[in-house]
Amino acid sequence: MTRRWSLDRLATGGALAAWAALFWMLLVTGRTSLYLSSRTAWLIPVGAVLTTAAAAGRLATGRTDPPTSQKPPWGAGLLILPVVLALAAPPATLSSYAVGRRSSFGGAGIAATARAVAGPLDFVDVAAARSTRDALATLRRRSGERIFLEGFVTTPSNLGADELLLTRFIVTCCVADATSAQVRVVGVPPGSYDTDDWVRVTGRVYALGAEVLVVAEEVEAIPIPTSPYLTP
Amino acid sequence: MAARASAPPAVFGGLRAAWPVLLALSAAAVAIRLADPAGAAWLQNLLLVFLSLLVEAMPFVLVGAVVSAAIEVLVPASAFARIGSLPRSLQLPAAAAAGVAFPVCECGSVPVARRLARKGLAPGAAVTFMLAAPVVNPVVVASTFVAYRGREALGVMVIGRLALGFLVAIAAGWVIGAVTGSELLRVRGGSPREEEEERARWPRFFSHLGGDVVFMGRFLVVGAAIAAAIQTFVPQTFVDSVASTPVLGLLAMMALAFVMSLCSESDAFVAASFTAFGPAAQLAFLVFGPMVDLKLGALYLGTFRRQAVGTMIAVIAATTLAATLWLQVVVG
Repeated sequence: MTRRWSLDRLATGGALAAWAALFWMLLVTGRTSLYLSSRTAWLIPVGAVLTTAAAAGRLATGRTDPPTSQKPPWGAGLLILPVVLALAAPPATLSSYAVGRRSSFGGAGIAATARAVAGPLDFVDVAAARSTRDALATLRRRSGERIFLEGFVTTPSNLGADELLLTRFIVTCCVADATSAQVRVVGVPPGSYDTDDWVRVTGRVYALGAEVLVVAEEVEAIPIPTSPYLTP
Repeated sequence: MAARASAPPAVFGGLRAAWPVLLALSAAAVAIRLADPAGAAWLQNLLLVFLSLLVEAMPFVLVGAVVSAAIEVLVPASAFARIGSLPRSLQLPAAAAAGVAFPVCECGSVPVARRLARKGLAPGAAVTFMLAAPVVNPVVVASTFVAYRGREALGVMVIGRLALGFLVAIAAGWVIGAVTGSELLRVRGGSPREEEEERARWPRFFSHLGGDVVFMGRFLVVGAAIAAAIQTFVPQTFVDSVASTPVLGLLAMMALAFVMSLCSESDAFVAASFTAFGPAAQLAFLVFGPMVDLKLGALYLGTFRRQAVGTMIAVIAATTLAATLWLQVVVG
């Protein structure tokens, strides 16, 4: 009996091919960092290879003995929908909107102990100091040191005219587990930056009581970095 | 010629049936362009969380489907019948221990458990494996260690998570053990006839692989959409206020784990950020979340019968709560 193409198999192959296309696109364009942390970025090449092989295998074995199902393949369509959304929507990162919907970073174990105490201070050190005593004590010992921070601007109403909250999201696996890290920056030219503007701050960091602040020496606008999220 | 005219090639006839799906997908693409997520922060947030959950979970679903298809094609049913003949007191701990050798997150273990149950493994053992694997595998143990390194509660968190993972998975498997495979598994739609009719190894392998991915994937899409919507629209202050209710703290942390739908390999870092809560409440989050969450709930409802899902969730919740209450008394 002549074997015919099965719609079910073609649709399944199509869904797998669509996911393969998404994984390859993320890999080629470097957009992986919009969704995953550097720790889980390896999933994208693995996903690309697996979905490509699965799609090729499903399409190569797509013929069956008639009769085959003629129902619309809604299940495969639902699986293709996220791919369509990812390709149709412009690339973006989490913004100030997400800050109020996320926990604050509290990765004390990493920030306070595992990181090099003598190394340059960064956003994770500063954020950890706001949540744990050990990290705060470490930072207090290094008060007055120069620090370089990149992040986006949030401006709550309780800040002074020359202040801003510099914010960065810390992602362990994917954006769904993002926690926010914030540090108060003082000495910023009033009215220079709007919410969600990305800036690079050069300044000196101080731990005052339980508060951490950075006295800005220079603030400059920057484009959204290629890796917008930090990994603890 | 006449015969050809009356029966056009199936690929063209079949494509006609695909038109509504293609039209719906095109409409979705146009709608998202018109909505302009860049100008609507909530939509941008919703899409980012939704897509990130799926981009991370889909490779694990694929790995699970590959393992599941390999079990179907390569392992004879008699192998599972032999395991099934062991006493339940041995089967369940062995199934939980097998989870140690399966380092994928929860989305990957569901298709494998389904396949194991279909091949004749005792339903209780399949469920025990499915629930234990995402909690007790070495990657998760290592991530829990890293997240709590430097804290006093390190030992409690790592050993407690491992021990509670075993305990809760075995308890759920024990209760589910009373049902048969057909009472556990939901009857699947689609065209299983085509799968069953395939005789050659590779077509059978790809039939099962593709079938599992589409079957599991659509429930994953629904679960991820709900989790993303909650992460987008529910303010953290509300979540914190619920979670900090003293008497309901443990339940609230379990509810939070359910809503957030985090991968078991990353949830320890989020749990560690709840510094206001003691180790017991954080353990409730870390044990309950990888076994029951929104995206898994959708996967379970697509895989198992409703009654079995209800029983499983009730046992997981009750055992987690009882064990963490006891821990709260002992360690705080």
